[in-house]
Amino acid sequence: MDIATQRKWDAASRGYDFLSFADDRRLGPHKRRLFAKIRGATLMVAAGTGNDFKFFPPHQRILAIDISPAMLERAARKASRYEGELELRQMDVCALPLPDESFDTIVTVCTFCSVPKPIAGLRELHRVLRPDGQLLMFEHVRSKIGPLGIFLDLMTPLSRRFGPDLNRETVENVQKAGFRIRREENVYLDIVKIIEAVKTV
Amino acid sequence: MLFVIGDYLAGATIGAVTALGVRALVWPGMDMVIAMLLGMGVGTLVHLVIGLALAPLLGMFETMAPAMAIGMYGGMLFGMRDSMGAGSQTLAAALGVGVGFGVVVVFAFGLYDRSLRGVVVDAGD
Repeated sequence: MDIATQRKWDAASRGYDFLSFADDRRLGPHKRRLFAKIRGATLMVAAGTGNDFKFFPPHQRILAIDISPAMLERAARKASRYEGELELRQMDVCALPLPDESFDTIVTVCTFCSVPKPIAGLRELHRVLRPDGQLLMFEHVRSKIGPLGIFLDLMTPLSRRFGPDLNRETVENVQKAGFRIRREENVYLDIVKIIEAVKTV
Repeated sequence: MLFVIGDYLAGATIGAVTALGVRALVWPGMDMVIAMLLGMGVGTLVHLVIGLALAPLLGMFETMAPAMAIGMYGGMLFGMRDSMGAGSQTLAAALGVGVGFGVVVVFAFGLYDRSLRGVVVDAGD
């Protein structure tokens, strides 16, 4: 378990719901549209305080994990309101104690901006996803627009101290981990994206 | 709709405060390069403080992306203008230009977002 990352997100859990108030409302419809594609046994990586549970379609079987026990503690109340099976467990995405090929769908929301070793984490997801499984991601990435990309690079040393990196190349990382991009959609500029990928065997 | 109004108010505020900060620090006749760098620094500080304060209400990226352009580029432009003493002789005029600049940048970001939004890759499966 990555203790430094766990501590950072334990600390961030206190103000997380306040900071994500507007993002929830502005980006929620896009998340709901993405999550409508969930099927079969589902793994949600980085549940946070459970803000995104309300966007899940009902009657699914979901295991939601997070590295931070403080986040999971806050998520428990929201999980209890979900109309379906929603189990919470503490896990590090880079070392999942889960069997190979055990999920049909994996969902991430602003996760791989924060995982310190993103390709290692994505390779773990590749391992636990079934051969015909799908990876559904709602992520923010580094902009390819010159000044914006540079700004995100400059801000990252600051943002990393309290929360996520702002300049991750997540689409490329997904491909490096062995997935094939099925669909990529810009939600805000070219920074906030929906990424759908499938496993290449 | 409220978010859109909020975006424009945030842009106008960041533009006005940047213009005010630059006007307070740059005098006519100051070396233009120094004035522009100073303006960029003031604008960066202003957009970070106001942008981060408003982000929970308006959305992190929807606030910070235009705020960056307003603060950094606006600060440089206002610094250049004030070092030359060219236009906006009164503080009210300088604030008005700051507000206008902020609104125009937010509008431009909205247009640019609309042009980029949507499917980039669709493998069709």
